[in-house]
Amino acid sequence: MLKKRLTYVLKRLFHAIPVVVGIALLNFLLVHLAPGNPADVLAGEAGSATPEYMAMLREQFGLDLPLYVRLLEYIGNLFTLDLGFSWRHNMPVFDLIVDRLGPTLLLMFSALLLSVGVGILLGLLAATQVGTWKDTLITVLGIVSYATPLFWVGLMFILVFSLKLDWLPATGMENIIMFYEGWDRVKDIALHLILPAATLSLFYLALYTRLMRASILEQFGSDYVVTARAKGVSENGIMFKHVLRNALLPVVTMAGFQVGAMLGGSVVVEAVFGWPGLGQLAFQTLFARDYNLLLGIFFLSSVLVVLINLGVDLIYTVLDPRIELG
Amino acid sequence: MSTKENRTETARLDERRSFLIKTGIAGGVYASAGLLPLGSVSYAKSGGTLSMLIQPEVPTLASYMSTSMPVGQAASKVYDGLLEYNFDLSPRPCLAESYSISKDGKTITFKIRKGVTFHDGKPLTAEDARYSIMEVLAQIHPRGKGNFSLISSAEVPDSHTLVLKLSSPSPSMIMAFSGYESPILPKHLFAGTDIKNHPNANAPIGTGPFKFTEWKRGQFIRLDKNENYWSAGEPKIDRIVISTIPDSSTRSAVLEKGEAHIAGFGAVPYNDAARLAKLPSLEVTRQGYEMFSPIGELDFNTRVKPFDDKRVRQAISYAIDRKFIAENVWFGFARPATGPISSNFKASGLYTDQVKRYDVPDAMQRAEKLLDQAGYPKKAGGQRMEITLDVTPYGEEWQRFGEYVAQRLATLGIKATIRYEDVATWLKRTYTDFDFQVTANWLNTFADPVLGVHRLYHSEEIIPGTVFKNAARWSSPRTDQLMNLAKVEPDPKKRAAYYHEFQKILTEEVPVAWCVEILFPTVTSRKFKKSIDSAVGLAGNFRSTVS
Repeated sequence: MLKKRLTYVLKRLFHAIPVVVGIALLNFLLVHLAPGNPADVLAGEAGSATPEYMAMLREQFGLDLPLYVRLLEYIGNLFTLDLGFSWRHNMPVFDLIVDRLGPTLLLMFSALLLSVGVGILLGLLAATQVGTWKDTLITVLGIVSYATPLFWVGLMFILVFSLKLDWLPATGMENIIMFYEGWDRVKDIALHLILPAATLSLFYLALYTRLMRASILEQFGSDYVVTARAKGVSENGIMFKHVLRNALLPVVTMAGFQVGAMLGGSVVVEAVFGWPGLGQLAFQTLFARDYNLLLGIFFLSSVLVVLINLGVDLIYTVLDPRIELG
Repeated sequence: MSTKENRTETARLDERRSFLIKTGIAGGVYASAGLLPLGSVSYAKSGGTLSMLIQPEVPTLASYMSTSMPVGQAASKVYDGLLEYNFDLSPRPCLAESYSISKDGKTITFKIRKGVTFHDGKPLTAEDARYSIMEVLAQIHPRGKGNFSLISSAEVPDSHTLVLKLSSPSPSMIMAFSGYESPILPKHLFAGTDIKNHPNANAPIGTGPFKFTEWKRGQFIRLDKNENYWSAGEPKIDRIVISTIPDSSTRSAVLEKGEAHIAGFGAVPYNDAARLAKLPSLEVTRQGYEMFSPIGELDFNTRVKPFDDKRVRQAISYAIDRKFIAENVWFGFARPATGPISSNFKASGLYTDQVKRYDVPDAMQRAEKLLDQAGYPKKAGGQRMEITLDVTPYGEEWQRFGEYVAQRLATLGIKATIRYEDVATWLKRTYTDFDFQVTANWLNTFADPVLGVHRLYHSEEIIPGTVFKNAARWSSPRTDQLMNLAKVEPDPKKRAAYYHEFQKILTEEVPVAWCVEILFPTVTSRKFKKSIDSAVGLAGNFRSTVS
């Protein structure tokens, strides 16, 4: 079984290579379709420039080479896992991204766990109490949080929990005046994480709650539930032994899909909370037309999404043994 | 410039949100302002650490090859320059104890301070200064060529004297020696290396009051006190921590809460600054931008219809109520502009307001008349013409300004469609393709017209593909001549006369409608004083900051 799983993973990874390269190719073309170039923006930030300076920048960035040469160079470098150099930051792209990946993953997975976990619980509660005021309350809250813009929720959280109540820090990932170390630092980061993770998970929480509720209700109408009842299995037994596992499948599918979207949503949340993540970097980089860095971020994100989808497929087989690895 | 970029990045978020903010948050934040416990205990412990917000994020600390304001605001604490400048733009000593300019204006001699060491312990000599100016700044600094092109040779007669020989007098050059504009680098670390890709680019070693300690990308830059600083008793604080918060509302909230102590140069939106100024814990100043003297304006494309006709340009210049926009679009953080040279140059005598003025009581009637004369009468329905108005992407206020201009033009019978694009697209349109009719814009005019004004009006500055040059593409032989003369004239009186004539011609021709002199707000906590003590403001070295 383990061996079968391993060969499956390797096969999937092998198939992923052309997908990732294809994405990289498309990204490269798309990024270069945008008008303007990094030399303009960099000189624009300087507020003034000489023609010599502009020419120097263009040469440094390789903008004087034809597009196809740059494309071939880029793809060639990808195969050696060389993501290039960001002139704007004066640093290799890979180092820049790795620095930012940690905070983004921390935020993303906290939000994912929070939204899936609480979403499942709330969905379960709503489904078992269907039609009661609890169900209505959960549904209404779900719709409200689904419809509220993330940045607004974030600002409101800051206003209430940081400015007014002074319970939690408003921004950043850690206290940069105190420079904590060891467990104090872990605690400090955890405190900083609460507001952004709660904000980011709120939107998805609503989604998973509704999905879980609908899914459970659907399963309850299935034949196997009738059979189980006929056998005399208790309602709790039916729920936790049979229905829950089946009902989880669509939620897991959705969670897998949403990871990509969460990267996007985290841009807003990172901006509001000053969270030092990848989303923020990507946003700035787009406007700066820092091609290498932008492509690097896209590349890494696509790899991340491919890997997570693989993970989701593996979770399927655990939840539902009928699904086989092909 | 700063702010330019930063503001773009957040502008988009700001835009979408502005409505909700104004209706929801604003009310809440305002209400809460009075209830906050000021200087709560947990933050009082921080004592000598100044928390500075820079927006956008600092990309690199290589201020010798980037004049971007985030870079300048951070690196200026580590790299000192030869001189500093008072608010009236008069120079004062820094790494140079003194300087003298010869009678013919062609020799500048600096006496370099003795006993100054770099952060790695090596002593500073005149050779470091010569190397920095001649071999780094004049070569790769964005403005280096403009600042130092007239230097024919640099000599170091003894270890603490630097002599610059000029090919002709350059009265503007003495303004280019701040630590922000011309950082002095350690030659022993840079000589013989690839300067454009140097390991110290992001781990600077200078002579400044603060030493670079640590940079956690995206989180903070930590600068610690330089115990061996040349000025006894300075710096007075132990540490500066620089961080970035992309969202402007959060920035204001954090300043209000006391988690951050200082921010400016566009980091604080004008409307928030007006509100924060009323809080007892904060102070808002307009000083510290004298070295930049930004002017907000409308640039006409003088090579296309209808703006090839100066009467149309004049009409539009008349239509702008400068006092109104200074108070309503910039919330008082601006004052009316009268021409191409900022009134910050009143002290040096270069500025004059004795020019054709557009802030007259019957401005709108004059505008109507000019448009009639130019052959754009009101047609049926009251419309004269349709134009496209581009808006610079460097900040939210430019959209409000664009909307104001469009409304005013509508009353004249000109239908203006506003176009809003991102930085790279707008720069290409304006400075490479010249594919615009009229665009709102703002430009730093810097510490001397040679540095900031000539580039916008000289015929030699019409250079497609180089940003922030003469986008209006207007020039005349006489104004070219006046600029050439003023550039090398050592006598301040004669120089002023040239510039006065220059301003008179330009205000008559209006290739650009000058609207406001922008006064950025800098918000500082009252716990820290004297941070803004020179004409470069936030890009100063903060050696006198005291808590």
